Amino acid sequence: MALQLNLVDPARKADPLEAATTLGTLLTHTPEYKAFITALQAVNSDLTVQKLSAEMRAHQATLQWGRDADDQHAAELTRLELEMDDLPLVKEYREAARDVSALFQAVDKVVSHEAGVDFAVNAQRSSCSCGG
Amino acid sequence: MPLTEEIKIAALQLGQALRQDEDVLMYLNALQEVQADPTASALEKKMYDVYEGLIARQQAGEQLSQEETSAFYELRQQVLSHPLISKRHEMLRFIRPRLAQIAEELTFVLAVDFASFARTE
Repeated sequence: MALQLNLVDPARKADPLEAATTLGTLLTHTPEYKAFITALQAVNSDLTVQKLSAEMRAHQATLQWGRDADDQHAAELTRLELEMDDLPLVKEYREAARDVSALFQAVDKVVSHEAGVDFAVNAQRSSCSCGG
Repeated sequence: MPLTEEIKIAALQLGQALRQDEDVLMYLNALQEVQADPTASALEKKMYDVYEGLIARQQAGEQLSQEETSAFYELRQQVLSHPLISKRHEMLRFIRPRLAQIAEELTFVLAVDFASFARTE
């Protein structure tokens, strides 16, 4: 990997966006990230997953409209979710997601500690503004 | 999860860059003011201690009295209305869009929502 790291020059104010680009680029080279992207692409292009997702969306839409007096749609949705969870591709995807999440959490811990503010938890546009 | 040296250095550099950011500096100053004020920090510590005590008792199956919960909410209101704590909350709200902008840069490079995956929930 021939990436240049930005060495901190005390006289020069570091640019967070530049630092984020460098960090992001390094993360794309990790085995966890590569495995996650591969698993994500596999799941997204799998016909069985697509079919099950479409069926699940249809049942979810019915439930949202409150048209499930006899709980048939809720039961079918649960069955489809279990069927989806049982697919080897989906299991691989979930495992890869857990690994990449652990990697990002470890990175966030270092960033937050150094910055003096919890980074990821406060970095979401939809983040609650109720204090803390 | 252990990080490679290269990633650790890059994460430290992002943290340092954030610490130097003007907006983040204002938040850190507000945070410092709370920490340096004995009344504000003691009040906040008391609130968290009371909260943890109540939660622990509730989780143990104990029914909390109306007086106890009211006293807690009153204490929380005192904390939230303390000028220094209120200023710190305001500054945190103020820097969130800046933090989001930087996280979005990571998300752009990764094509994965960094902040969502990094949150420990």
